[in-house]
Amino acid sequence: MRRICLLLSLLSGAALAADELHLYNWNNYISAQTIERFETECACKVVQDYYSDNEEMLAKLAAGASGYDIIVPTGNAVESLIRQHALRPLDKNHLPHLKNINPAYLDTAFDLGNVYSVPYAYTITLLGYNSQKIAELGLPSDTWAVIFEPRYLEKLKGRVTVLDSQRELIAAALKYLGYSANDVIEAHWQQARDLIIRAKPYWAAFNASSYIKELTVGDIWLVHGYSNDIFQANLDAQKAGRPFSVVASLPKEGAVLSLDSMVLHNSGPRPDLAHRFIDFMLDGKNSAELTNLIGSGNPNLDALQYVRAEIVRDKSVFPDSVQLRHLEMLRDLDRKQRRVLSRIWTEIKLK
Amino acid sequence: MRRGPWLWAAALAVYAFLYLPLVIVIVYSFNDSRLNAEWVGFTWHWYEVLLHDEDMLLAAGNSLFIALVSSSIATVLGTMAGIAMQRYNLRLLSFMVLTPVAMPEVLLGVSLLLFFIQVLNLTLGMISIILAHITFSIGFVAVIVRARLAGMDDSIFEAARDLGATPWQTFRHVTFPLILPGVVAGWLMAFTLSIDDFVITFFTAGVGVSTLPLRIYSMIKIAVTPEVNAVSTILMLLTLTMILLATRFAPDVLKGKA
Amino acid sequence: MNEQEKIRLTPAARLGKWLVSGPPFLFLLLFFVAPSIIMVLASFRYPGEFGALAPIASADSDTLHGLTLETYEFFFSDIIYSYVFFKSFLVALATTLICLTLAYPLALLIARSPKKSRDLMVLLVVLPFASSFLIRVYAWMILLGPQAALSQVINGMLGVFGIAQVYLLFSPFAVLVAMVYVHLPFMVLPLYTNLEKHDPSLLDAAQDLGANAWQRFWQVTFPLSLPGIFSGSALVFIPVLGMFAIPDILGGTGDMLIGNLIKEQFLATRDWPFGSTLSIMLTIVVLLLVWLAVRLGRTRGRYA
Repeated sequence: MRRICLLLSLLSGAALAADELHLYNWNNYISAQTIERFETECACKVVQDYYSDNEEMLAKLAAGASGYDIIVPTGNAVESLIRQHALRPLDKNHLPHLKNINPAYLDTAFDLGNVYSVPYAYTITLLGYNSQKIAELGLPSDTWAVIFEPRYLEKLKGRVTVLDSQRELIAAALKYLGYSANDVIEAHWQQARDLIIRAKPYWAAFNASSYIKELTVGDIWLVHGYSNDIFQANLDAQKAGRPFSVVASLPKEGAVLSLDSMVLHNSGPRPDLAHRFIDFMLDGKNSAELTNLIGSGNPNLDALQYVRAEIVRDKSVFPDSVQLRHLEMLRDLDRKQRRVLSRIWTEIKLK
Repeated sequence: MRRGPWLWAAALAVYAFLYLPLVIVIVYSFNDSRLNAEWVGFTWHWYEVLLHDEDMLLAAGNSLFIALVSSSIATVLGTMAGIAMQRYNLRLLSFMVLTPVAMPEVLLGVSLLLFFIQVLNLTLGMISIILAHITFSIGFVAVIVRARLAGMDDSIFEAARDLGATPWQTFRHVTFPLILPGVVAGWLMAFTLSIDDFVITFFTAGVGVSTLPLRIYSMIKIAVTPEVNAVSTILMLLTLTMILLATRFAPDVLKGKA
Repeated sequence: MNEQEKIRLTPAARLGKWLVSGPPFLFLLLFFVAPSIIMVLASFRYPGEFGALAPIASADSDTLHGLTLETYEFFFSDIIYSYVFFKSFLVALATTLICLTLAYPLALLIARSPKKSRDLMVLLVVLPFASSFLIRVYAWMILLGPQAALSQVINGMLGVFGIAQVYLLFSPFAVLVAMVYVHLPFMVLPLYTNLEKHDPSLLDAAQDLGANAWQRFWQVTFPLSLPGIFSGSALVFIPVLGMFAIPDILGGTGDMLIGNLIKEQFLATRDWPFGSTLSIMLTIVVLLLVWLAVRLGRTRGRYA
């Protein structure tokens, strides 16, 4: 016990001595080597706090969390933060590497002109499946029908999980029904709800992320999940010598693309370091490191040359231009819409 | 005869039910596989990982610090409350002390969250967690101390008074030594509750400060590796030692808890 | 006794009374009573556009502000929220009954053991309870996994009879098992404290009167233990009612309890007023239950 205390005092002592950059980031969303290199380059220390979903991060900020130089929210959360006047405009003179970003990911609806945000990485919410099982059962893998239609689900009862996220699951259902993922017409939400309630008896669980493990072990055969999680599940399965691989597949109806961007929070004491960090991350080599580590999508054109070839070829990480047209980024919901959605979600969970 | 074989069998089954899961957690902390699914082989690997997990160690340090501070303050306040409740029969105080113990934790967590932000304008972190932990611990300490006092004969205190002892002297030399086992038991209870608390901490933690249970929760939800088992095993050893020490030091602890 | 006390209090003793009761009183006034009042107030406000609360007063008439009953209207206009309460109630009831069934024989055995071994047996009940709550829940994630022995055995047996495989993890079953597991000691301890006090000569007398073991239990031991049953049940029932972590970790597609709903309002939905309203409803239910338990415990206790 005493040793832990000693260690702690040493750690905090070291932290106080240097300049600090406070980064509020997703769990496991930057490589340790990247951090180390940045720390050496700027002679500072990077202090990280983590969140596991946007809502959690927004709730914590709404609850007064402060002192963060950089946050890495998804588009709709960026939008919400901008509307709350919680962000600091970027000084692009300090971001010479901004030119590396693929224009397809700039000037998005949630931050026109990229006044506040710089793309960092993206994930796509899609289907992940056990190659062996899906082949054996002869099921399609390129359509949301496979998680919503009882005629397919009958063969998969208890072997499917979907995300425990109101927005993501409704969005998948809306896409399958042919609507936009951002559709806010209540009647369409109700249709999505009915679709979900019909399919629910066949699902094993609403799962936040332990589906990575379930896929790897082979308990779960099909998931509605994030591309980088499915990438991770496949790596784990290969490492464990499983007889199958875990494959990510982009449904033809389209899906949600979550573009995570670096933004400067108002409360951050070190915008200077923050700009240095953003420009550092815009460097192709640094940016590629994350993609190689977790299989996240990379909006940085300069990074492609450093990304491992098999990842570059993977359409679920780097979708082609046709697929890209079917991908949508989620917009923020207003107060009333959030309450309606919460009510629909309660119904889904209870029925 | 009154402890017939069926009673033994039922009781043993319940003991097994209580211990089996913990044994599994411990065994799997030595499993040479990331997956926690089937047994692969023996390894110390997860303990090494744990030793190098800066975030986990930091969270453990925070938990210890919070538990030490909050349980100590709660013990002082709870002992006072226990004495006051027993001696003066204060209904309002009893209600205020006992209700937080009886309420589902989520309610206390949520109301403190609102209060800290809306009224105190406090940035959530170490201080808010400590204040919250004190709030829910006071009741437990008070109940234990009061139970200890209730078992005593009032005439000792009267005797002390008759012998000319001031209230402080009576407390210092008569009451306090007598309730000490209850106070120690209360402190241990508060310490254990604090170090284990998840729900109330979840709402009052903000982001800068993580505790062990918060860290474990996010690991369970996100990436379960046997590191969770390793940290659990160490934690179990720690609490086991504490409880054994407590039973040595203050054999009444169990009765206090009951 | 209270009267006598009052008469005997000297000024010094009165000062002592305030010194002893003052600090805990003030602390709880600030950190328990005040937050509760704030929560009641919050339930009458509008949610802020981005979470938290909309202002009570605002110079700008466009911004939503002021006090309202809309969250209560919303709650009562929709049967689904009452249904969540009802469902949580059922889960709590089931947990309590199972805990009681498991705890009773154990408590009885401990109470009837020689004095020396009682402490150790109680310690053995308390020990797992001292390991972290989340770890105890997590253990069931491993135990109930499809690869685990338990699932294999159950599914093996089902297979023999040609019944479809069951998936134990992420199910109401998993939630119930963990609920029982986590709360069991809360039932054993009060039961044991009660049973320990029983006078064995009562059972002897009953035996002399010709009562068999079964009759002795139902006509002597059980009625006498009712106060223990009531306090144990309260200690199990109430925490289960507000639990969100167990359904979160082990629940399947239908496991939403009030705790989850409240948590959701403060996180995902960012609707603090409605979350407060749900919390107040839960508080009312709990206070009613406590009142009921105290009353039942009292009258039954007197009876016995």
